[in-house]
Amino acid sequence: MLKYIVRRSLQAIPVLFGITVVCFMLMHLQPGNPADRFAQNPKITQAQIEAFKHRWGLDEPLPAQYCMWLGACGDKGVLNALPGGNLDIVGLTIALPGGDNGVLHGDFGYSIFDGQPVTTIIANRALPTIILALTAYVIWITIAFLAGVYAAVKRYGKFDSTLTIFNYVGYSLPTFWLGLMLIAFLSVPPLKIFPASGMWDARTVPIFGTGDYWVFVGAHPIDAFVDLGRHLVLPVLTLVLVSVAGDSRFIRSSMLDALSQDYVKTARAKGLSERRVIFRHALRNALLPVITNVGLEIPFLFSGAIATETIFSWPGMGRQFIESVGHNDYTVLMGILLITSVVVVFANLFADIMYAVVDPRVKYD
Amino acid sequence: MTGAAGPSPDYEVALVSLNQWQLAWRRFKKHRLALIGAGIFLGMVAIAIFGPLFVPYDPTFVPVPDSQFCPGSTTQLAYSGCPPFTPGHLLGTTGSLRLDLLTLVVNGARISLLIGLGASIFSAIIGTIVGGIAGYFGGWLDNLLMRIVDIMLSIPILFVIIIFAKIFGNGDWRVILIVFAIFGWQGIARLVRSLFLTLRTEVFVDAARAVGVSDLRIIFRHILPNAVSPIIVSTTLSVAGVIIGEAFVSFIGYGVNPALTPTWGNELTAAQDFISQGNWWWPLFPGLAIVLTVLGINFMGDGLRDALDPRSRE
Repeated sequence: MLKYIVRRSLQAIPVLFGITVVCFMLMHLQPGNPADRFAQNPKITQAQIEAFKHRWGLDEPLPAQYCMWLGACGDKGVLNALPGGNLDIVGLTIALPGGDNGVLHGDFGYSIFDGQPVTTIIANRALPTIILALTAYVIWITIAFLAGVYAAVKRYGKFDSTLTIFNYVGYSLPTFWLGLMLIAFLSVPPLKIFPASGMWDARTVPIFGTGDYWVFVGAHPIDAFVDLGRHLVLPVLTLVLVSVAGDSRFIRSSMLDALSQDYVKTARAKGLSERRVIFRHALRNALLPVITNVGLEIPFLFSGAIATETIFSWPGMGRQFIESVGHNDYTVLMGILLITSVVVVFANLFADIMYAVVDPRVKYD
Repeated sequence: MTGAAGPSPDYEVALVSLNQWQLAWRRFKKHRLALIGAGIFLGMVAIAIFGPLFVPYDPTFVPVPDSQFCPGSTTQLAYSGCPPFTPGHLLGTTGSLRLDLLTLVVNGARISLLIGLGASIFSAIIGTIVGGIAGYFGGWLDNLLMRIVDIMLSIPILFVIIIFAKIFGNGDWRVILIVFAIFGWQGIARLVRSLFLTLRTEVFVDAARAVGVSDLRIIFRHILPNAVSPIIVSTTLSVAGVIIGEAFVSFIGYGVNPALTPTWGNELTAAQDFISQGNWWWPLFPGLAIVLTVLGINFMGDGLRDALDPRSRE
């Protein structure tokens, strides 16, 4: 068991390393480099440009630049990636000065567009994404779970057929188009019910996340809550309609699988009530694959809301990504890409280990 | 079925031998949704090929307005688009340039379907080669290739596609097709690898190896034909994903240039600005075309899965 956990964790390391390489390469695919902005300036000499390049390591070969970007090498020494302290390798003590330059230290650099630290930008945009994605997630998982289990229990019934059709359609809807349609029919006269964009009502509520906003929330908690709720309706509805389809289908087939097992037949043969068979015997076993699979969707909530956030101008990470693409703001793009990917890797690792822990039938050799 | 102890000649006439494709077709025919799906999809392909010959306008033709109002109306401003059933415009017109929506939707089918089919087929080829090599040879090569697949499955691939489309895209649909192809093969590679892992231990592989067949020939001539059904199903379903993905990338403006070639995605880009003016038909029809096509492909893919691989039925 421990061996499996260690081995599985070790497997994640080359993947994490690969992700940083891919992100670095993507950043270097963009035409030009940071020194190009001086090319048109007659007052800056070639020597100064060279000095600038040397200062930031732009004259180094790409692998060296990568290592510096990572924060593993630089002017402080080879192994300053780890936090300060002494590292004891086979009796050889290496002083680790630590530092805060480089991705490994949580330093993603500064936005090319507005000069803010990338981590600050991402932190500001993470909360709206979490609010939107988590609200939608809780709702769609609840619906998908109830619908999937009910459809499996009443297989080939009216509800099951309706759900199957709904799932096919929901699965085929492009998220961004569904959002456009909801706006066209629910936030434009004659049915102007819900706001079409943003996260707050600019006329009455201060900008979300600012100091003023929290003061406003403190003074008018109900107003702030209602305002946020009204703006949440359409984006959440979009995400729920699209996502219920896949999940309820999965939960249904997992439940059907459990219901066809021999232990369910045994339970029925023993004369247990149908209720007890379904809830105590089948459902508990059906939950295993559901929990890991549904849990794996959580990291994709960050990236999955990109279309919804774009359509509804929701100030989250997905929208930030699209804005940064427009600004060619590669440091921010790489920050978002790197963080979401790393979260996915750790979620996968966690899910695999949990699965092995929870289900004794899983072989981990 | 011949020989002295065989059935009488009367029975022999009635015997029809069916190969596996004929058997699969027989199962597919019984799948009602699959037939509907195939019908929708083939209909869309027919519209894509022949439709542009029959629509009255050229997709990039910008009409010279003769009135600020729509034909047959004294209140609807032509600038915000004319609604469906306007004389001369069955599905209405777009806002701003007043293009005919029917023409746009029919012409958009061409590139949207071409990118969906082309990118999926390219991805399937790459994925089959990578997965086949990894599964057949195993060892460090398998480890290396599967770690690459792991990396591609961990990164939100749509983000990477958008960045690539932004850097290399020049509005040409061929570039977008290639970008989707090179970032879409990881799922199939993993599938093919797992199929090859079990198939390579079969006796016929040992037999082929014993008579000195080369590795490449074993991979592509002996093992691959046994793995082809799941690959077909997976490729079919991925066409739907690519069509939706391309539509989104073109919608946000980094895909195919609407001034060069209309696609269902880029036709929606400007539509967002006119929704608030009550123009619901502009975003509706190109989107409906996407939904219908994707629905057809999904029906068809599920039918193919049941027909080609009866064991995998739920």
